[in-house]
Amino acid sequence: MNELFQDLVVQMLIGVSTGLILALVASGLTLIFGIMDVVNFAHGELFMLGAYMGWVFFTMTGSFWLGLGAAALCVFVFGLIMQRSALRSLIGSDPLTTILATFGISLVLQTAAIWIWGPTVRRVGAAFTGHVAVFHLQFPVYRFLVALLSLAIIGGLWLFMHRGRFGLWIRATTQDRQMALAMGIPVPLVHTVVFGIGAAMAAVSGYLYAPILGVDPTMGVNNILRAFIIVVVGGMGNLWGSVLAAVFIGMLEALAVIWVSPALAVIFSFAALIVTLLVRPTGLFVAVPR
Amino acid sequence: MLKLQDVQAFYGKSHVLHGVNLEVDGGQVVGLLGRNGVGKSTTLKAIMGLVPVQSGSINFAGHDLHRQKPYRIPRLGIGYVPEDRRIFPRLTVLDNLRTGFDRQGASAARTEQLLGQAYASFPRLKERERQLAGTLSGGEQQMLAIARAMMLDPQIVLLDEPTEGLMPRLVGQIREIIDVLRQANVSILLVEQNVPMTLAVSDRVYLMERGAIRHEAAASELSVDDEVIHKYLGV
Repeated sequence: MNELFQDLVVQMLIGVSTGLILALVASGLTLIFGIMDVVNFAHGELFMLGAYMGWVFFTMTGSFWLGLGAAALCVFVFGLIMQRSALRSLIGSDPLTTILATFGISLVLQTAAIWIWGPTVRRVGAAFTGHVAVFHLQFPVYRFLVALLSLAIIGGLWLFMHRGRFGLWIRATTQDRQMALAMGIPVPLVHTVVFGIGAAMAAVSGYLYAPILGVDPTMGVNNILRAFIIVVVGGMGNLWGSVLAAVFIGMLEALAVIWVSPALAVIFSFAALIVTLLVRPTGLFVAVPR
Repeated sequence: MLKLQDVQAFYGKSHVLHGVNLEVDGGQVVGLLGRNGVGKSTTLKAIMGLVPVQSGSINFAGHDLHRQKPYRIPRLGIGYVPEDRRIFPRLTVLDNLRTGFDRQGASAARTEQLLGQAYASFPRLKERERQLAGTLSGGEQQMLAIARAMMLDPQIVLLDEPTEGLMPRLVGQIREIIDVLRQANVSILLVEQNVPMTLAVSDRVYLMERGAIRHEAAASELSVDDEVIHKYLGV
């Protein structure tokens, strides 16, 4: 079979699986922005913190799944504390103040990670080590697992938001904060919990990425840029827009690798970002408001 | 039941309420009239805790609202229907209503009853239960905003210009709704520009100018062409 066709199929598979991991980080970011207008510059560090927390528990117990649970839970609690202590009183003020606050937290977390764990790259073993043959390439089963798990988590979040009372509170608060207060919805609590959920999603994503990339203090910075591109391309505050944009960006970069080096592939993502901002600044995947 | 004493409020640096005094008793409909920008809507927002009150007191059924967290105020039994309706456009009609009735302490039977009453008053909402609220017409959105406030099982409803932009036929319907609420012994604080309607439905009327109450009278003592109405409303 044509070699280019084989490359295309393989790269598309890689693109979709990478895209779906990125979708987890990006949907947490977009959820937080959508509800409290906070652009969380520390999101990459929550991703990194999740990878470290997972690695610590993985090393202690040897269980990949316990590591995953611990990453989500620890960073969820960390997110609650971070929002309650540093961000709650800044919500509604000049966006620059929350940008500076989260940027400060990001620097603190990065430096703390170097201080505690050092700059060495740590390894987490994948839950499944098998491979499947896709044409000439042995494709890791783990990547399929990660893609499915990411989809399941995002689907779970959607269900949480569309069943139960708390989900209704989140959706109402996202649409009109003042009116939500006037209907008796405890908006400050909703904000804190949503921040915790967003943080936990970043953490899970960071941990799922760990067997592919390794864990180090700069992994957040290196990956968060893509998450920001995805959030803008998908439309700030739009959950499914972010998922679609993540798969789109993941595929774009994976396909670009066929012709250019991986380091240059990111240029295509930036091109997509620039085109989006020029053509449709509200996002490519936002429904036209009625 | 609801009593404001010398309420002062600011929007940033501009002084909007200069000592508002007003009172609404149980089961009463009280009108608050005044030109645009005199602080009528801000008075309602101050009651709901949505603008910071600098000084003065707002008392409702023994609670000092000034000291309450804003989201606790509606739970005390105060429904709010804002000027621009502010329905949640990307929630369905039923989910908009749920933001009111799906709360701690609301029994399933009472919820059923409240929803039944709302659908009896506004059959249109029942028909459009599953539709996104943003797709409703202006009149339907107004009905939804009132029905949503009723889901809180309130003792008082603050209505901010409910007839604004509505067709005359719908204005009549708003009057009917006010009567229904009054019969259910729900008090109403009604902010309006529509003087004839306000005088017709209210027990008492306050006239507001430049952030303070300038005149108070029984609605039956005033008529549309009274001098005091001309003075403060220019009609």
